[in-house]
Amino acid sequence: MWSKQINANRESAMFPAAPDLVIVFGPTDRLADRTLIDRLAHRYDTAMIVGCSSGTMVEGDRLDDDGVVILGMGFDRTELRLAVQPLPSSDLSFAAGAALGKDLSADDLSGIFVLSNGLNVNGSALVAGLRTVIGDSVALSGGLAGDGARFADTRILARGEHHADVVAAIGFYGDHVRFAHGSAGGWQPFGPVRTINDAAGSTLRGLDGEPALALYERYLGEEAVDLPASGLLYPLEIWDPAHPDVRVVRTLLAIDRDAGTLTFAGDMPQGWKARLMRGMFDELINGASTAVHHALDQTIAWGTSPSACLAISCVGRRLLMGQRTEEEIAAVAAALGPDIALAGFYSYGEIAPQNQTAVPCLHNQTMTITLIGECA
Amino acid sequence: MCVKPPPSPPPPIASAPPVLHRIAARQAERARRPDGGIDTDRLLALVSATYAETDVDRRRSDRANRLMAQELEVALAESALQNLRFKAALDNMNQGLALFDASRRLVLTNQRFLDIYGLDHAVPGLTLDQLLSNSPCLSVSTADEHRRLVEEYDGAASAYGARIEQRWPDGRTITIERTRLVDGGFLDTVADVTEARNASARLAHLARHDALTDLPNRTMLRERLDEMMRNARSGDRCAMLCLDLDRFKLVNDTLGHPVGDALLVAVASRLVTLVRHHDVVTRLGGDEFSVLVQHVTSDHAIEHLCRRIIEALTQPFEIGGHHIQIGASIGVTMVEVDALDPNVMLRDADLALYSAKAGGRGNYCFYTPDMHVFATRRRELEIELRRALKSEEFEVHYQPQVAIGTHAVVGFEALARWYHPERGIIPPNEFISVCEEIGLIGAVGEFVLTRACRDAACWPDSVKIAVNLSALQFKSGTLPAVVAHALRVSGLDPRRLELEITESAMLDDTASVLKQLRDIKQLGVLISLDDFGTGYSSLSHIRNFPFDRVKIDQSFVRDLGTNSDSLAIVRAVTGLCGSLGILSTAEGVETLDQLNILVAEKCDSAQGYYFSRPVPFVETLPFVSRMHALHSQAA
Repeated sequence: MWSKQINANRESAMFPAAPDLVIVFGPTDRLADRTLIDRLAHRYDTAMIVGCSSGTMVEGDRLDDDGVVILGMGFDRTELRLAVQPLPSSDLSFAAGAALGKDLSADDLSGIFVLSNGLNVNGSALVAGLRTVIGDSVALSGGLAGDGARFADTRILARGEHHADVVAAIGFYGDHVRFAHGSAGGWQPFGPVRTINDAAGSTLRGLDGEPALALYERYLGEEAVDLPASGLLYPLEIWDPAHPDVRVVRTLLAIDRDAGTLTFAGDMPQGWKARLMRGMFDELINGASTAVHHALDQTIAWGTSPSACLAISCVGRRLLMGQRTEEEIAAVAAALGPDIALAGFYSYGEIAPQNQTAVPCLHNQTMTITLIGECA
Repeated sequence: MCVKPPPSPPPPIASAPPVLHRIAARQAERARRPDGGIDTDRLLALVSATYAETDVDRRRSDRANRLMAQELEVALAESALQNLRFKAALDNMNQGLALFDASRRLVLTNQRFLDIYGLDHAVPGLTLDQLLSNSPCLSVSTADEHRRLVEEYDGAASAYGARIEQRWPDGRTITIERTRLVDGGFLDTVADVTEARNASARLAHLARHDALTDLPNRTMLRERLDEMMRNARSGDRCAMLCLDLDRFKLVNDTLGHPVGDALLVAVASRLVTLVRHHDVVTRLGGDEFSVLVQHVTSDHAIEHLCRRIIEALTQPFEIGGHHIQIGASIGVTMVEVDALDPNVMLRDADLALYSAKAGGRGNYCFYTPDMHVFATRRRELEIELRRALKSEEFEVHYQPQVAIGTHAVVGFEALARWYHPERGIIPPNEFISVCEEIGLIGAVGEFVLTRACRDAACWPDSVKIAVNLSALQFKSGTLPAVVAHALRVSGLDPRRLELEITESAMLDDTASVLKQLRDIKQLGVLISLDDFGTGYSSLSHIRNFPFDRVKIDQSFVRDLGTNSDSLAIVRAVTGLCGSLGILSTAEGVETLDQLNILVAEKCDSAQGYYFSRPVPFVETLPFVSRMHALHSQAA
């Protein structure tokens, strides 16, 4: 197996061979550009081409807000299959996930990498739908497409078209392909513990009897005008009071000022506890480092080195850290070394197994790492 | 002149590249031109952006910190208010609370805890031992006692969930319970249960003592007997005395229940002074007491005790200005303790008491097995009597009364007979007293009266009917109505009915008896005094009520001609009757000699075997006719 990431802006860059799989990350407008799509299809005519939009792309140890990053991979002993399902509304997320699972399901299915539109999706439900079909023995990771701080339009590139309302998944088949994952945030909870007293699905209305939107506006101050993007600065740590050790992070995706509601990238169960979180630069960077090391530790048993790394980080981290965001990618790249291709994007939601339980789920505000390799 | 050469310029400093902050290094890298130089504008833009980002981040942090502080302040204020409420609630609890942390140091107490232990205050951080060292309540007695109470508290309470109870030197009863807390500390709950325990003790005492005299009751007697049996040594004997006050009922009826109650209390006090401390005096109920005597050495000792009791209770009582003289009868049973059956023991003593009373008042009697046989027979008799009344086994026989001068039949005395299905005809002296005791006398008496009136209505108008009344038939106060009813249903002329009472009927509740007798006499019925001479023979009875007839007891009549005393009595009675205008009748005339003496003494009429035994109703009219024929022949 070989892997290499290149930047489409640098036309001279070449892959060592004709790739079997091409994963493309780029700004929404570039991904919707017919010319680019056609050129990719022409150039990699034997490859499966899949991609998604984002405000910031990862290319090696650098970030690029404008360029298109292309990760090419060639497999020796692994079959690939692509599944695409429409996802026009977040209500259909579970069904779309289950349909993808059915499309890809096979005895020798080893792993799935999923890319979903980033706005009309309930990531938790999407993952739950997939899991009901494929179970927990198949590696599952991926992410929701992004659009920087705009939250206006996300795109999925699949089968030679760009879509605003689909979810695409690549199935990896055979005994030789290997996956390793890591996920970590580094956000710190602060302030009082609150209770979710008014919520439905992924929509939150009240915390401790107070409108949740008002709480966010108070904490954001002048930056409240930038909601929902600025809401990413304060994710919520939530947990079931019956299981206080299992905590998940939820990031804000959308607001409805008229309804006074906030929509998060995952379920907000009523009665659960919630606490605001904030990011300190160093802690977030340490989080990214933790994620990649967690993944690398799993590869020791492979007997071979990973070939490619897909780094999917949260747009909230990008917004908070500004120029210093690059440091978390540098930390990942330093841990991987020069021989592993590294590409990725800043997403509206990350999908990867939990570090402790290895059960796939939707993460928010994390750096998630997917390492792919192929054994002899 | 010497010109100093100008100083030579300093040697050039080797320009090592500056050690840049990693952001600055990255910015320098990004601002590097293709020729290797630095694009200053680009670099400044990047640096400026970093400053701006840092400013924004600082402002966010400041804002977040400020808001968080405000929220925490509100939360703290709420928490303080909540603490105040908790404190108010805790301080007003009935139980004392003391909360300790995982290192067994005091965190807090409520006011009630301080009150119970008599402490002014409690300093957090103290150990239990230190906290209680100042408690005056635990220090009333000795230091040892203080230490023991604290150690017992801390030791016993450590068995979480187990409640211990302490009796304090100041007399209070305190319960202590320890609850383990999740943080490794514990919460002690202390309650003053003195009142509750006292109330329970009072209840327990009431359950085992007689409320009036405060003597042990049957329950406690039973417990003591059980205890005695458990601790029995071979050959150890005990005695049970059942005693019953003589004439107590009279006191109650005449002086009222408050005096009766006070008398029982006084009796209880006298009894207690007569026994040893381990003997048990019990009030069984009413005027019945028992004395359980332990470790009996001899029958003689018990006899001595019985005599002392009877003597003590025969001494007059002064109660509420009344001089009261009663007495006591005692039944005794003695058994070996290891063969004791409490029920049998009380029953046997009761049987012995029954015998003692039968032998006259102021007696004691020891149980013998034949008493039990007698009692069994009596119980059977009771059952049979109740059945007899239901199945109409009673009949009435009539003994003629004859005018001494003319030998004309002037009346018959009605005498109840029991036609027992197996034992044949049973005379009244064998069952009337039992009927009286078991409350059947009213029904049996009414049956005899009604039947006698009905039968008498068939006789010639000159023939009267005499019916005996039991003293107990006056108890209900309805006797006049019963008599009136018998007369009405039989149609008998009231002047032909004669009711016989004995002097004993006049003894109890005299006023009520006299009133009923007057009411009956008002109906036209005649009243005679029966068995005169055997009992009190009180002339005041004859004076108090206008009797129509006096009947001279057969015991005197039987001795006429052989005993001069009897003749004197008969003569006195007939003389008295003659002068008071009261008729006299002699009972038990069996011989012509006796009859002749009665003629001489001017007795009005006579009855007895000389004339006839009691006969069934069918034989009465023929007898009247026969006597009439004899009378006519003689005339």
